[in-house]
Amino acid sequence: MAGKQKKSKPLRYYDYSLLFLIIFLLCFGLVMLYSTSSYYGFTRFDDSAYYVKKQLFATSLGIVAMFVVSIIPYQWWMKWATLGYIAAFGLCVAVIFVGREAKGQSRWLQIGPLSFQPSELAKLAIILFIATIIYKTPRGLGNWKNLLKIGAMSLPVIFPILYNNLSTAIIIAGIVVCMLFVASPKSRYFILLGAVGIIAVVLVVMFAISGGEGGYRLERVQIWLNPEAHEKGYQTLQGLYAIGSGGLFGKGLGESMQKLGFIPEAQNDMIFSVICEELGLFGAICVIILFILVIWRLMIIANNAQDLFGSMLVVGVMSHLSIQVVLNIAVVTNTIPNTGISLPFISYGGTSILFLLAEMGLALSVARGIKLES
Amino acid sequence: MQRNKTPNRKKITIMFLVVFLAMMFLSGRLVYLMIFCSEYYGQKAEDLHERERDIKAARGKILDRNGMVLATNRSVCTISVIHNQITEPEAVIDMLVAELGISEETAKKRVEKVSSIERVKTNVNKEVGDRIRAYGLAGVKVDEDYKRYYPFHTLASTVLGFTGADNQGIVGLEVEYDSYLQGISGKILTLTDARGIEIENAGETRLEPVSGNDLVISLDYNIQMYCEQVAERAYIKKSADRVSIIVMNPQNGELLAMVNYPEYNLNDPFTLNLSEEEIGVLSDAEKQNALNQMWRNPCVSDTYEPGSTFKIITSAAALEENVVSLSDNFYCPGYKIVEDRRIRCSKTTGHGSQDFSLGLCNSCNPVFMTLGERLGSANFYKYFRQFGLLSKTNIDLPGEAATIMHAEKNIGPVELATISFGQSFQITPIQLCTTVSAILNGGNRVIPHFGIRVQTSEGKLVETLEYPVATDICSDKTSETMCTLLEKVVSEGTGKNAKVDGFAIGGKTATSQTLPRSLKRYISSFLGFAPAEHPEVLVLVIINDPQGVYYGGTIAAPLAKEIFENILPYLDK
Repeated sequence: MAGKQKKSKPLRYYDYSLLFLIIFLLCFGLVMLYSTSSYYGFTRFDDSAYYVKKQLFATSLGIVAMFVVSIIPYQWWMKWATLGYIAAFGLCVAVIFVGREAKGQSRWLQIGPLSFQPSELAKLAIILFIATIIYKTPRGLGNWKNLLKIGAMSLPVIFPILYNNLSTAIIIAGIVVCMLFVASPKSRYFILLGAVGIIAVVLVVMFAISGGEGGYRLERVQIWLNPEAHEKGYQTLQGLYAIGSGGLFGKGLGESMQKLGFIPEAQNDMIFSVICEELGLFGAICVIILFILVIWRLMIIANNAQDLFGSMLVVGVMSHLSIQVVLNIAVVTNTIPNTGISLPFISYGGTSILFLLAEMGLALSVARGIKLES
Repeated sequence: MQRNKTPNRKKITIMFLVVFLAMMFLSGRLVYLMIFCSEYYGQKAEDLHERERDIKAARGKILDRNGMVLATNRSVCTISVIHNQITEPEAVIDMLVAELGISEETAKKRVEKVSSIERVKTNVNKEVGDRIRAYGLAGVKVDEDYKRYYPFHTLASTVLGFTGADNQGIVGLEVEYDSYLQGISGKILTLTDARGIEIENAGETRLEPVSGNDLVISLDYNIQMYCEQVAERAYIKKSADRVSIIVMNPQNGELLAMVNYPEYNLNDPFTLNLSEEEIGVLSDAEKQNALNQMWRNPCVSDTYEPGSTFKIITSAAALEENVVSLSDNFYCPGYKIVEDRRIRCSKTTGHGSQDFSLGLCNSCNPVFMTLGERLGSANFYKYFRQFGLLSKTNIDLPGEAATIMHAEKNIGPVELATISFGQSFQITPIQLCTTVSAILNGGNRVIPHFGIRVQTSEGKLVETLEYPVATDICSDKTSETMCTLLEKVVSEGTGKNAKVDGFAIGGKTATSQTLPRSLKRYISSFLGFAPAEHPEVLVLVIINDPQGVYYGGTIAAPLAKEIFENILPYLDK
């Protein structure tokens, strides 16, 4: 009886490698966050563990969410796609009007003692929504009209986010483009899009070099070109000081000087520069390798997913993670102009870690759907 | 159900590869930043974190020839504020106003200035510094350092000079030997966070200061003090403008005393040594001018017409050139006609017939005008040069004035005549002493000096200061003759007021009128030396603008006598 049961039940796969990598990254992130934020925590709230406590709470919540999501068959979520999309749109619009302001931009919704960043939910909602649409548009993705149509469907969510958070809008647009790129049998539209993008970037940079004036975005480009000469290059320069003073093996964990108020809000977007300072080139490369491994695992899962929906979900998660890691490190090393993008798993941010872990749960769920052919 | 198709897999792999390449590129960027730019950024970061505080080095002491301390250091405090650390600005401002006596405005400016550290006041007494520390206000820093202190206040003020706020020499020996006296400042390097708060346990790097070396000078505290007392008495008695005294060893150029009375208080050099009423009428510019005058050392920096003391040099030149012998006879009718002018002798009725020696004893102008005539301007000028009168003495004090002399081609008979008895040109008192020393000591022109040696604070020799000597500026014979002749001036002639029982003193008096002559202002002086046969000490007394009797033989010679009476037994010991 039992043997019969076993036979009929296909061999289930659980991606422990990915799970292990995620848990390792989370722990590492918490250690680095404590190291980085203890100064600000102490000077502002008289509690050096202030930030890490909050982050630990969000992480615990996230881990629970990850396990719950990972055991729910991912196909179940398909029916929530439209609702999630509408909810994300509603919340992103709402935050513009009733959001809590921080540094001139309202990005948070306050619910009791908890604050919540709708744009993080939007990332997950868009991944789910686009994956569903692609799944339900059989054989239509070779057509550029259909591609544009699906792309346009993401715009209602992107626009309210664009209003006060350019970086997240760019990330969501990037996720959508990546998912469409994978789903479409054609490549030339995307090559064309890439070419147009590159030309646009070159034009903006040339305009900036010629000393043109055009608001704070252009100013960022000018800072990027020469942070030492620009009066507002402070944050970028402080990040570079931190990275440069790390050297090969760093100053040792907890020994960063730049986190002592020199790098503004070091625990957020600039945390990678503190990792560089404390752990050196060695530590920084290790972190990069960890992320590559996670992305590699996601690629394996996406390639072996049971169906296109699962594959697209993982592609979305993979592109989300990739875009944020690459852009964050690029910003910190002043490879691209400064824009606020956090480093997944490591930067301080409760909503971000919560939804990121939920996404990882989705990927694990997709991985569970893989039938091993032995 | 839609299957996951192969083209999709291919594209997923492409996506992964793109991400992988991007990561590799960023790793390359990190290698560039963390290996090749590491030094540059690391240094910049360090500069940002480090705060540097100087530790003043103790300045070397100045000791007299017997080891008496003439200039030393006292612990004082420097008060600074650190803007970032101040929590109660109002309390800090009130405290600074109350304790340092600065205006509220100044205190406010210092406290509110956004800088890493702002110096409020230096050279604050240690007691005040301790009191400020006791307030325990955050952001107020009390650093101890040294202030120059002169134990004898006014003693040898114009020689020693004083130092500025950063312990650097400003005038006198303090500036001349600054490089020896000044030590090397130490540093305290501390790490701070962005608010400027020092990080505990970060450890501070201390670069210990190196103390300056001590300077031993030839000045003798006892002689200097005695000479100052003598000068003070004469200054009061004769209501003089100033009384200067130089005591020097003519054999080696060591200066034993140099007085310019009134002296000033070295511990308070910015207060004029005048009465309240006198200061009250001065404008700021005049006050500054008066301060500069007070700090001057006229023995070195001011020139005057030496008058009859210069006859020593005229005599030596004439002897050297063999245009006069001791048996030569002169006749003085009370004047001498030079070209169309009648130049009077000090004794208008005339000295009558006299030999050369008596002429010197009488300080008879016509005799020396005759000598000048016999020498001729070219020869006279040659001896000026040979004796070193035309160059500076190179004394180790700053601001030495050069001789003001006629150009050789402009010396006509009248100029030649006046030069012969020490008028119409100007030299510094130290120049006169140096030149006469050379004539008396057998022709060695020594460099007058104070500095003898440099030693560490423990007394270990660092450097013996050497002074080159120009030899043979006159013959031994001339030198001996001059000693004998000048001894006679004191024993029998105009210098008899300087006679001291039991000692053979040589000397020459002088009374010169300052320019313009119409003011009837005089400079009385006396140059004496002892023992006459081998001079060991030479004294020059100069009284500027004495009231009443102004003859050098009457008022200056007795001062020299007083000095000789006291220092000759003292030096013999």
